[in-house]
Amino acid sequence: MNISKIRNVMADEGIVFSFSGMISQSLTSFMVETAKLQLEEQGEDGKLIRNMFLIAIEQLQNIMSYSKDKDVQNGSNFTSPGVMVIGVDKEKNKYYINSSNQIIASDKNKVSEKIDHINSLEKDELRKYLREKLRSAEDKHDRGAGVGFIEMAKRSSEKLEYDFEEVDNKLYFHIKTYI
Amino acid sequence: MENLKIEATQYTPEIDFNSQSSVLSIVGKSYPENTFEYYKPIVNWIEEYLKTINDELLRVNLDLEYLNSSSLKAYFDLFDLLEIAHDEGKNIQIKWIYDEENDISEETGEDFIADFKSLDIELVIKG
Repeated sequence: MNISKIRNVMADEGIVFSFSGMISQSLTSFMVETAKLQLEEQGEDGKLIRNMFLIAIEQLQNIMSYSKDKDVQNGSNFTSPGVMVIGVDKEKNKYYINSSNQIIASDKNKVSEKIDHINSLEKDELRKYLREKLRSAEDKHDRGAGVGFIEMAKRSSEKLEYDFEEVDNKLYFHIKTYI
Repeated sequence: MENLKIEATQYTPEIDFNSQSSVLSIVGKSYPENTFEYYKPIVNWIEEYLKTINDELLRVNLDLEYLNSSSLKAYFDLFDLLEIAHDEGKNIQIKWIYDEENDISEETGEDFIADFKSLDIELVIKG
């Protein structure tokens, strides 16, 4: 393997932070705190950093909770394989957070419907929708309120971009959020 | 009741209750993975405490810099609990404390005020 290939891809895609491997809570914390420090050192705006921090947490915790091949440790701690990158889109001149993980095939429609609905809402409607969901708790489960995508959309400057990819009978979910 | 003290971690806040002064203060970041499990003993403790008080004032100071979406739900449920206690005649004052530049936290505080109209919630800019 030629490591310079990876370095070149990262430079081309404007990637400032990347991870591929088993994602856990302690690693999530380490990654978002590190990315936050990095952006602070670059003198980025505080609001941008806060949005980045919150979106990255939601994406990583989604991977941990919904990944097809998650491992459960100590009863309630999950680790799941996934990929996350934070980069700068040179054309849009915006930061983005992009992640990927394998999902259960039967979750595909549910996830699409959820995100399509969120993408149909404007910012003020999203704020209202989140409050409704918090009150009704209809998507609540053991580990979350089922509102992570709404939170990502609230923090994003564009609609949520997502797609699914099938590789060797495995279904991967990709999500990209621009800040 | 005894004092309650839970130290902060990198992703959970410091929780401190002083039974002498009746002040519950929660300060820091909150983005654990198993949020409801994490907050359950704290919520249970608050429920028990509310049973022991009559008309003495309980002050709740919340200074939460970052909340993940499951923590938002956990605090929504805490406000629910406090609202029920308030409606039963308990005397509760809540301060939602935030950094002037943190408009996300300010907005969260505004939403709590809008959703829990009968509760006494004050937005306080950190000095």
